[in-house]
Amino acid sequence: MVGSLGARAGLYECGEVRVHPTGSVTFFTGTHSHGQGHETTFAQIIAERLGVDIDAVEVVHGDTSKIPFGMGTYGSRSLAVGGSALARALDKVETKAKRIAAHLMEASEADIEFADGQFTVAGTDRSVGFGDVALTAYVPHNYPIEELEPGLDETAYYDPANFTFPAGCHVCEVEIDPDTGAVEIVNFAASDDFGNVINPMIVEGQVHGGIVQGVGQALLEGCVYGDDGQLATGSYMDYTMPRADDVPSFTVSTRTTPCPHNPLGVKGCGEAGAIAAPAAVMNAVHHALSARGVSRIDMPATPARVWQALNA
Amino acid sequence: MHDFTYHAAGSVTDAAAKAAAGEDAVLMAGGMTLLPTLKQRLAQPSDVVDLAGIAELRGIRVEGGAVTVGAMTTHDTVASSSEVAAAIPALAAVAGHIGDPQVRNRGTIGGSIANNDPAADYPAALVGLGATVCTDRREIAADNFFTGMFETALEEGEIVTSVRFPAPEAAAYMKFPNPASRYAIVGVFVARTTGGGVRVAVTGAASCVYRESAMEAALEGNFSAAALDGMTASADDLNEDIHASAEYRAHLVGVMARRAVAACG
Repeated sequence: MVGSLGARAGLYECGEVRVHPTGSVTFFTGTHSHGQGHETTFAQIIAERLGVDIDAVEVVHGDTSKIPFGMGTYGSRSLAVGGSALARALDKVETKAKRIAAHLMEASEADIEFADGQFTVAGTDRSVGFGDVALTAYVPHNYPIEELEPGLDETAYYDPANFTFPAGCHVCEVEIDPDTGAVEIVNFAASDDFGNVINPMIVEGQVHGGIVQGVGQALLEGCVYGDDGQLATGSYMDYTMPRADDVPSFTVSTRTTPCPHNPLGVKGCGEAGAIAAPAAVMNAVHHALSARGVSRIDMPATPARVWQALNA
Repeated sequence: MHDFTYHAAGSVTDAAAKAAAGEDAVLMAGGMTLLPTLKQRLAQPSDVVDLAGIAELRGIRVEGGAVTVGAMTTHDTVASSSEVAAAIPALAAVAGHIGDPQVRNRGTIGGSIANNDPAADYPAALVGLGATVCTDRREIAADNFFTGMFETALEEGEIVTSVRFPAPEAAAYMKFPNPASRYAIVGVFVARTTGGGVRVAVTGAASCVYRESAMEAALEGNFSAAALDGMTASADDLNEDIHASAEYRAHLVGVMARRAVAACG
């Protein structure tokens, strides 16, 4: 799809689900987690789908000597694309496991149902657990060896049919001290539709981080160069990173409209805060300053800049 | 960091002797400025004489209407001292807003004033309260101690031992922090002394802490924020950097002074 838009790289993602003889699972992903909690979110998806304990799932990322060739983490894509590759790999694992289970229970593959980690012959009380199937896959003594390879290790590549379209509204209230130009954010509320949410706490954390990054852009951060080309903001003594006391407690909520074209029904959430917050903050700053006849102020709206605008 | 010889001094006399013996020795108090300077190789002393082990330089004494703070007393100790809070609450407040908790647990009053950073908080408190700096050689009035940017009246090898603050009738410090470093872009310390005088000391705005004599005169007749209405500092000779113009600083001196007077109650 992106090829038609001029992209010169594939935007697929890959995932390998390796079920071990013990029934524990290692997931190798081409996306990378540097604080977004993929280890938790991906493990949740696997634990829920296969009925294994979440502690029996390991997520491996970032080590190019171990993982398949993926595209990485950017554009709020890890769950929407990488998670979809995981879902497809899990489909393959389930399909193969059902064939093994059908063999073990001498039933037709079409009659096997899988739920809560148990393969059941529909309409009977005959069942076999996921762990037993995993062990059988690697100790294939009672196994359809003529028609099925041993092992339970599946890889899927997922190329998204379309972008995801998360939507939301962020509302910001500021108070400006006209004597000093200092801007204080007194209220910030965000409501976003990220499709299905796997882990609400992680999603809320992503929104918090994004908002703070956006507040930094709107009010605090800016690279300044001297006339001689020397970077004047070369350290955190001069470059203002947003800190906890620069922001209020946020009110964050989500609404769910599942994404129609990926298997998990999820949309990107990582960048929502950083996209919406600068606009919300600057709209609030403009609204406050317009009462004093100020029609334009650029980011970052530092105290000095706001004071200057008020006294121009 | 360049190589240097480290010495742990056991007493003020010992520190003075060790510093004198070194070819290009420096004294180290909390090291909050010295250590980053060494790491960046901006300084290359032959010897570093550490004052941290000298017990006689630490501690707070309140007697006869004055608070005496040992040179190696940390900002946190001053900020959390109930004696300081009772005698000069504004002094405890100044110490409690220096840097961050890490700096407050390492940085000392002696190190801060000997360094005399133009944006440091303590110089405003010393000049605002009319303090006296005691050294191993003499006593120096705060008004004469801070002589210029990173410059003091200290002679070669002279060691600050303590600072004596007379308790005022009322005092308050208001700081407008640099958004990045949280140093003072402008900090104003206002005190009404027991003799009826008023002192207004400004840090951060110029190359060195100074007194706003016009504001002092206005407040002596009428100690109220209204007495400073419309007053600003002169922008001549004020600092100008990427965070604040001289005009903005001059304006903030007036704002912070009015707020400090209001906070005096």
